[in-house]
Amino acid sequence: MAESEEKQPTKTTPPPRRRRNLKIDHDVEVPEPGYAWMPRTLEWGVRVKPGAKGMTMQGLNVGIYGEIPDRWDEQTRMPRGAYPMAGIPPIGFALREKREVWADNAADLYEEAIQRRWIPASDIPWNTLEPLPDDVEAAMCQLCTELSQAANVEFETIGYWLQHMSYGYHEVKLFLASNMFDAGRHHEAFRKRALANGGGLGIESKGEINRMILESKGGWSETSLLLHLLRGLFIQTIYRYGERFAHNPAEKVMFARALEDKARHTAYGLQHLRYAVTHKQDKALVFQQLLNIGERVFARELQEPVVLEPLAVIFGGGIEGAKAGMREVHHMMGDFVKSYLASTDWIGIHRGRAFPKGLSRYLEA
Amino acid sequence: MPVFPSVEWFDAVSRSFNSDEANRTAGGGIADADVGIIFEDQVFLLNFAGYECEKASVIQRSDLENTDFYLEMHPDDWIEMLINIQQNGTADMDYTLNTLDLDSEDGLAKSATGDQYRLDKFFRFNQTMQYFFDASSNVETEFDREITPA
Repeated sequence: MAESEEKQPTKTTPPPRRRRNLKIDHDVEVPEPGYAWMPRTLEWGVRVKPGAKGMTMQGLNVGIYGEIPDRWDEQTRMPRGAYPMAGIPPIGFALREKREVWADNAADLYEEAIQRRWIPASDIPWNTLEPLPDDVEAAMCQLCTELSQAANVEFETIGYWLQHMSYGYHEVKLFLASNMFDAGRHHEAFRKRALANGGGLGIESKGEINRMILESKGGWSETSLLLHLLRGLFIQTIYRYGERFAHNPAEKVMFARALEDKARHTAYGLQHLRYAVTHKQDKALVFQQLLNIGERVFARELQEPVVLEPLAVIFGGGIEGAKAGMREVHHMMGDFVKSYLASTDWIGIHRGRAFPKGLSRYLEA
Repeated sequence: MPVFPSVEWFDAVSRSFNSDEANRTAGGGIADADVGIIFEDQVFLLNFAGYECEKASVIQRSDLENTDFYLEMHPDDWIEMLINIQQNGTADMDYTLNTLDLDSEDGLAKSATGDQYRLDKFFRFNQTMQYFFDASSNVETEFDREITPA
């Protein structure tokens, strides 16, 4: 069809927007509105202005809205700073003490998580994946199976605890919601890697530490100790080495982005655990006792071949180089143990002689 | 043409980094960190706040105590990294900050006070730091020496 013959769009006046009319039916009796809810506010006239980082959660903590009590007695879903209503049935939150959940950095970490988010589907250059030798592909798939499952445990664990946290500390609930979302993203990313390059899922370890974390019911702090500190720092170290030994840009980006998320989770864990230790006299002792058990279970589980062996194959470039790769694994574990002990020191938990040989041996050259 | 390292060079890189909104996506974004840079006996401070690198300045080595972490490499390694970035537009697989951190004997990112929490910002904001140095590919750079790549 010649250009001049092409049908040209005709200009028409758009129809008027159709809206439902508010009809007044004088035959129906409507109670006179009382507007009793309208004056019910504890502080009015609040005008928070956005700062350099936009309108942040931390920025909203002004006036009574920024008063964060050491104990939250309200047993309903009433938000902090809202007008309390009588007669609401209690929900029964188990965690009502600030020291049980709090970290000063929670609001900022939430903003960080939201603003620094990434998308595995499109931010990872999947088209840069290239066929790897079978042994290396198998090792990478095995590692990704473990990492994906660890992330799954993470979001399920936090999901359990979130409902037990009272609404007075919404900054923490928000951050942990983002932590769950991050963990979901890691589950997704590592599963995608396992299924994207000619391999497939491997096996999941027996999962003693997974069970310890999932079944930790003594308190959120105790769970965070295992989840964010002991296992979290281990995973963070694997992500660092995963980035270093990536075979292609896809793996490079995947591990690098996951590393940022994991470091953010660690930042909450460190701050919260230090807060807990400094606000309850025997908390450091409780944590020491718990780590005495957790570290030993963790060290025992490392004897299972499903994590360190695949890493040795990856680091060594195949089964042939796995012995040299195992030396690099030793180095990686040394890095993990060093950062772990520096973190326990920072929190105020003494390890010393109780630290198991199964982990301290990695500090030997 | 700014010489690496100098406040003038860091300012030029900051301008390129701050003006590129792509640096705020895909793992980039707000980053609050005071980062030291050591190149032989020269010490610099980069103040990252919000989405930007707000300021670069010369500091004393003793001022590193006030940083969250500092980056220190052999001068040849600094130059080699920057040449790699200039050649590729971004750091390639062997020259990302995390990789250089793990590959160097003493590590690249360090804490002057042994504060693990502040040192962890190197990992939390790793992509921002990477975007920052990758932005140096837009800055014509003069080096004060020739190096032989390792």
